[in-house]
Amino acid sequence: MLKLNNIEVAYLNIIRVLHGVSLQVEDGSIVALLGANGAGKSTTLKAISGLLHVEDGAVTDGEIEWNGAKIHKKNAEEIGKMGIIQALEGRHVFGHLTVEENLIVGSYNRKDRGAIKSDIEMVYDYFPRLKALRRKMSGYLSGGEQQMLVIGRAMVAQPKLMMLDEPSLGLAPLLVEEIYEIIRRFNTERKVSVLLVEQNVRVALGIAHYGYVMENGRVVLDGTADFLKNNEDIKEFYLGLSAVGAQKSFRAVKHYKRRKRWL
Amino acid sequence: MSMFLQFTVTGIAVGLVYSLIALGFVMVWKSSGVANLSMGQMLLLFAWFAYSMLAQKGIPIWLALILVLVFSLAVGWLMERVILRPLIAQPILSLITVTLGVSFVITGLVSFLWPKGIAALPRLFPQNPVHIGSAIVSQEYLWAAVISLMLFALLSLYFKYNRTGIVMRATADDQKAVQACGIAVTKIFSRSWMLAGALAAISGVLMASIGGITFGLVDTGMRAFSVVILGGLDSFLGAIVAGPIIGLAQMVGGGYLTPLTWPGVNDVIPFIIIIIVMFIKPFGLFGEERIERI
Ligand SMILES: Nc1ncnc2c1ncn2[C@@H]1O[C@H](COP(=O)(O)OP(=O)(O)O)[C@@H](O)[C@H]1O
Ligand SMILES: [Mg+2]
Repeated sequence: MLKLNNIEVAYLNIIRVLHGVSLQVEDGSIVALLGANGAGKSTTLKAISGLLHVEDGAVTDGEIEWNGAKIHKKNAEEIGKMGIIQALEGRHVFGHLTVEENLIVGSYNRKDRGAIKSDIEMVYDYFPRLKALRRKMSGYLSGGEQQMLVIGRAMVAQPKLMMLDEPSLGLAPLLVEEIYEIIRRFNTERKVSVLLVEQNVRVALGIAHYGYVMENGRVVLDGTADFLKNNEDIKEFYLGLSAVGAQKSFRAVKHYKRRKRWL
Repeated sequence: MSMFLQFTVTGIAVGLVYSLIALGFVMVWKSSGVANLSMGQMLLLFAWFAYSMLAQKGIPIWLALILVLVFSLAVGWLMERVILRPLIAQPILSLITVTLGVSFVITGLVSFLWPKGIAALPRLFPQNPVHIGSAIVSQEYLWAAVISLMLFALLSLYFKYNRTGIVMRATADDQKAVQACGIAVTKIFSRSWMLAGALAAISGVLMASIGGITFGLVDTGMRAFSVVILGGLDSFLGAIVAGPIIGLAQMVGGGYLTPLTWPGVNDVIPFIIIIIVMFIKPFGLFGEERIERI
């Protein structure tokens, strides 16, 4: 079980972004983390996966527990080995690698080499489309196929907790349904917990058992998926989403440029 | 005609060694974004180290060469671990400057440890020259070419089939996503520095067995920079193709032009080629195509 106790997060020691976030993910459940742009959802995921350190961020207060062990001081490698894997926001495929090579990278930490082949086959079972594309350079895949690959790359690491950051971003509704159905199947068949960050509230609550809503670095509302679906504020938030959606593509462009500078 | 053939063969052979050095540079650049300006000095250091090992009585040649290889891996590892890792996330200019600093340190160290400054490497290859058509070429050139080609093949297998090799390519694409997979990129950095060290050692020994050990080995390293710029900073294929181009330009062009112009013209020719190519293809001949699909 994953447990966040009142965590505070700051970037560069000064930019405080999370102000006391608490949440938990029971084993085998799907939990949705909802909220508008800039609410602190991705930061929360990065705090859990240890990727915060990469961006000069740190958990400055509170603690994160994974099956009883405190993990908020560990780095991404240690946390990955403990079974928590994050798929980043924005379809970060390795563009010059083939689909299969992307999956091989995902399985890199597996000690048991014999199992890697069957793990990759498992991903192909969930995403038959990826199997057909296995030798293709992933930079040339469509957006939906890239999203499938990013999720498959997290699956192949055999996580106990899989964290997905806005898997529906910029995809056609039909494709979103398809991908979400696969996430749900993976969760029930493999008993893998899923922590799902989304702005698309409707699809997220469609498969989640429990949800948290974030605003300005705080959890402002939480409850079972059914409770949240019927909540008036959620309905309004959900209706207001289209306005946010309009800004989203602009931000995606900015984000992409920032990534380019990293290379 | 025999002159031309001779220039061509030696040009290609030397060029392939330039490619080896360039590969070491490209590897570090692609995986960690550091431009290693000390490749030439590393060549010099490893050539001298090989000289010392080979000169030891009682150590068989094969063992001496293995020791050189181990030493070069260790130096590569050390450079990453001790010098570059503490500077992760520092501005790119600091990273480049620090490799320049390393190159001065190595130069100083070499002058200190091997003050005579010039030496011939004990012979590694058979002495009798080979006739290729009408040309006569000494065997070192051919061995250099064959060994380089074998290493290219080995490296491309490594990057295609070895899991760590694949992760090294992934790191070149998207470092953060590699970390998100729970992989320690620092291990990948250190692997690429070790490989760069080994390539510098092998090319250092090959060049030294062709032309002896002199500070000219540093210029050889500089020529590898021309190769990298010509081929494209981020392209392995570019490094392999551009090496022989630079080697040919230098040997053939230099061979014919030197009697007509001035000695040293052969060092200018590669740069003229680069300038022309830069006008036409600013990212180098094989600068990696940017896949932009949003
Ligand atoms: N690397 C960073 N350095 C400084 N501030 C950041 C960084 N990443 C995110 N932030 C800030 O933290 C806040 C929350 O961002 P984020 O967690 O990405 O929100 P969300 O995923 O909910 O859209 C934003 O105000 C954003 O500007
Ligand atoms: Mg986000």
